[in-house]
Amino acid sequence: MKTSSGSPTNKKQVKSEGHPSGDDRFKALDRTMKRFNFEKDSLLEVLHDTQEIFGFLSDDLLIYISTHLRVPLSQVYGVATFYHFFTFEPLGKHNCIICRGTACHVKGSDVITQALSEEFAVPIGKTTEDGLFSLTTARCIGSCGLAPVAVLNGAVHGKQTPQSMITLVKDVLEQETEVLEQGEAG
Amino acid sequence: MSGVSFNEAILELPMVTLTIDGKKIEAPANTHVLQVALKNGIEIPHLCYHPELSVSGGCRLCIVEVEGYSQPVPSCGLACTDGLVITTQGERLYELRKNVLDLFISDHPLDCVICEKAGACLLQEYAYEYGIKETTYTPTISSTLYQDDNPFFIRDHQYCILCGRCVRMCDEIVGVHAIDFAKRGFETNIATPYDGPMIESTCVFCGNCVQVCPTAALMPVSRKDKGREWELDHKTTICGYCGVGCQLEYALKGDEILYAQASPDGPVNGELLCTKGRYGWDFVLSPERLTRPLIRRDLAYELGLTSEPWEQPDTSPLADRQPKIEDYFIPVDWEMALDLVASRLAATVNEHDPDSVVGLASARCTNEENYLFQKFIRAGIGTNNVDHCARL
Amino acid sequence: MTLEKLERMAQRERQRQEKFERRIFCCISTACLSAGAGQTINALQEAVDACHCKENDVEVVQTGCMGLCSRGPLVRVEDKSAETLIYADVDVDLSQQIISKHVPMRKLTDESIPEEMQELRENLKKARRRKRLEKHILGMDSPFFAKQEKIVLRNVGHLDPEKIEDYLAHGGYSALRHVLQNMTAEEVCDEILRSGLRGRGGGGYPTGLKWKSMHQEESETKFVVVNGDEGDPGAYMDRTMMEDNPHQVLEGMIIAAYAVGASYGYFYIRGEYPIAVDRIRRAIRTAHRNGILGKNVLGTDFNFDAAVRIGAGAFVCGEETALIHSVEGKRGMPRMRPPYPSTSGLWGKPTIVNNVETMANVPPIINRGADWYANIGTEQSKGTKVFALAGQLTNTGLIEVPMGISLREIVYDIGDDVPGDAEFKAAQTGGPSGGCIPHEHLDTPVDYENLSKLGSIMGSGGLVIIDSTTSMPEFARFFMDFCVDESCGKCVPCRVGTIQIRILLDKIIAGSGEPEDLNKLEDLCHIVKDTSLCGLGQSAPNPVLSTLKFFLDEYIALIPAQEPA
Repeated sequence: MKTSSGSPTNKKQVKSEGHPSGDDRFKALDRTMKRFNFEKDSLLEVLHDTQEIFGFLSDDLLIYISTHLRVPLSQVYGVATFYHFFTFEPLGKHNCIICRGTACHVKGSDVITQALSEEFAVPIGKTTEDGLFSLTTARCIGSCGLAPVAVLNGAVHGKQTPQSMITLVKDVLEQETEVLEQGEAG
Repeated sequence: MSGVSFNEAILELPMVTLTIDGKKIEAPANTHVLQVALKNGIEIPHLCYHPELSVSGGCRLCIVEVEGYSQPVPSCGLACTDGLVITTQGERLYELRKNVLDLFISDHPLDCVICEKAGACLLQEYAYEYGIKETTYTPTISSTLYQDDNPFFIRDHQYCILCGRCVRMCDEIVGVHAIDFAKRGFETNIATPYDGPMIESTCVFCGNCVQVCPTAALMPVSRKDKGREWELDHKTTICGYCGVGCQLEYALKGDEILYAQASPDGPVNGELLCTKGRYGWDFVLSPERLTRPLIRRDLAYELGLTSEPWEQPDTSPLADRQPKIEDYFIPVDWEMALDLVASRLAATVNEHDPDSVVGLASARCTNEENYLFQKFIRAGIGTNNVDHCARL
Repeated sequence: MTLEKLERMAQRERQRQEKFERRIFCCISTACLSAGAGQTINALQEAVDACHCKENDVEVVQTGCMGLCSRGPLVRVEDKSAETLIYADVDVDLSQQIISKHVPMRKLTDESIPEEMQELRENLKKARRRKRLEKHILGMDSPFFAKQEKIVLRNVGHLDPEKIEDYLAHGGYSALRHVLQNMTAEEVCDEILRSGLRGRGGGGYPTGLKWKSMHQEESETKFVVVNGDEGDPGAYMDRTMMEDNPHQVLEGMIIAAYAVGASYGYFYIRGEYPIAVDRIRRAIRTAHRNGILGKNVLGTDFNFDAAVRIGAGAFVCGEETALIHSVEGKRGMPRMRPPYPSTSGLWGKPTIVNNVETMANVPPIINRGADWYANIGTEQSKGTKVFALAGQLTNTGLIEVPMGISLREIVYDIGDDVPGDAEFKAAQTGGPSGGCIPHEHLDTPVDYENLSKLGSIMGSGGLVIIDSTTSMPEFARFFMDFCVDESCGKCVPCRVGTIQIRILLDKIIAGSGEPEDLNKLEDLCHIVKDTSLCGLGQSAPNPVLSTLKFFLDEYIALIPAQEPA
């Protein structure tokens, strides 16, 4: 049925069911929801994938999920805020997670957290103003044999001390500034 | 309501006999002990349980001793089985309940002296019953959010005890799910998405959440600063809007209505009302309410009732003044109004024919009035052109 | 058809493995990876390549946890003609030494060697002369290994977790085959009941009874859920099991499904364990491809399928009713029981929830018989228990010990005592739901009853050793912090009670406590214990109560002396 006088490109857009913003990441989110048949029960899985795709859960994402899964928005918000795995703010470019499990606690993980927080002037659970570095904590990452443990950009580092962690983070951040300087120079 | 409920009668559940406080009681199998006890006049304190809603089990006040169990069990979720022996009072239970209430009070400001809910607040009632003057712990209020963002009700989170009645009401009965629990642990609160204004949520403002709130966390805007519970008269009546006939209760201070609520024993609606019944009563004392018959100014000029000819007032938004009701109508007495209507109707029927007349009745009138009205149109005027606005 | 195919796969894999003169296993589980196992396994492989061995001479295998995580990366060398050895702390340099010692280098004419390998070959030759290696050998007869009895972890560290062939070659899925061919569902329930297996998630409810009551439920749809939401800080048994031998857990789950009559199952896995999620998903896929999952499991008329659901950081989801809500995509808040999930669980259908370790116990029980299993352990607690041994000990890692072993043996023999000058002070079992066991009770046999008599619990298997440098009130506050954070907020005693306990602890630790605060603290703990809705709240005060019981003097010392009036 031909009803609209839209150009061919417009039609194509409609067909792919993309987000009006044109953000391609929504296509990935659509695929996830489709995989679960848009079932209400898949809310948690969809939130997981959304966070993986977008990095954090923004309010328009929750609205998008709510409409597509037909779950009341208040429930989506309730679920997303219940689980501490979900974050509502974008994380820094580099992320350091300090394990707060029992074994790590006994071996002084809070001293490490405190030291990092002071050294890089970032409150625990927050990101530096330049958006480069976030310091977060985790309940237990299950590497208790190597306590105290930290995860820097996805890599697990065991048997750390405040000094060794500061050095590790400094290295990462220095590389970042080098890249920046090179970029400016070039 | 007493006796066997509709569901129990239909399902013909097998009956079991249990003993509560030494009293043998017959109850349908799998109904809950708290429900049965309350029905039989045995009081067990409870905050989160509500007969219209599903069981939550979060307030831990309705704990009872069950023979054969070492630990007290909440009676709201305990199914009746044959031979169950329950004790609802006792020293241990008293102590435990008192301590649980103590914990409740540690997260609830003791503002009873200035609180409008005082006298109807369940927490206050139990605190009185268990002799709790103040908390023995360190008072710590979990949320102090105050949301006065709509014309109907105020959400004052400091008084919220998180019983979840409102959430279950909104989800299970109203089916809107505008609010839910958000966050967790001590930080839990009842929230619209992102704690935003109610108006931006899916709320339909039926106010049934306000009805079931046991404390002052949800309060009608209309009663703010207007008086305490015991200063109010409660008048039971039937809602004047649609044909369902919900029973409701106006809380009055003198002649002024402060709020409306459903009366729990209303046979039609129980504790439920819609937004019109609950909030649509402000016309009662409205100064704009019609108290005398009015006739149109142009007609009045024709009839010589006024010497001013009528001109269409300027209705544009840019006009110096917006037209008022006096610009269109003048008040007359009933005699004159009825005479006018009668003569005009008779003239129309005579000049044209009865079918040139249409009668439209109002849903605000009673059945009897509406019956009379259609009789008048059919038999008096002689036309079947009669209808009813059907809804409001 | 499927059966023959699986048999052939197992046979082929066994033959392939037997051909090798020697096999070198490198642990690539999380602990060893963070200690650098990634480089180690690469170095091993490069060195082996450089040796230019004959075909079927040596194979480098990536495998799971070998136990002694504090000494990772661990490398085990199995040689047909020599004793099996485990090397600890294997870095790149050490891995070259290992290869040069164990793998004969083939002599080649210089021209045939690629240039980049020349240097490595020279290094290997030099490495042979270094003598650092001996210090890194862990004797298999050292108490750390000798005192353990491995049932659940038997194959962990011996096979490649990503290859179903390897699991089959180790006798995998034979229990499932036996069950489907020779046993009725009731017989399976009875067998598990007779074995005395109890829930390993902490509660200790007899697994057989749970299955039986579920088996008797009449319902078209039933579900099996494997609880892999190991939220207990300081514990990682389930993680290791799922990462390092996913098929054994899956096999247990399928047997459970057959026994209770379920047709669908869920793995509920912590979001913090991406590798476990990945491995289980992969295991499900390969099982599907090979006819072990899906319609007509192993060619019988039994149908079963499984999927993974990922948790999102909520300790309370270890509680079965909360877990069920979470699988349904809701807030993980527990509800009152009864009805128990075996009557009304996922979407109101009968559901059993079993812990990962419980499921992993099932295949060995079927394979070797309930009587064999019932012979291990104590009167009330049968079998073995996996513990994550952590804290202030020389040897920390993952251990599996028979029930009834004393804590003393675990701490002093397996754990090899507290390092340095500090002294052993307490053993904490059961994580935030458990308690601290002091020195004088070290001879207590470890089983469900004895631990709960001491005010602790078996828990899921976290075992943290504390030395004299740790203050017990502060340690109790650490757990209280955890419970405050993890309380779901549904019931008052847990939501408000835990906050108030923490306020009292803060006050005492800050030195402004009064003598009656200790009584108040104890009373409050009992109220929270007696009136909370779910297991989290009911056990949250345990760390405080047990430290009050055994280390009261530390609390009293914090209370300033009353000035005489």
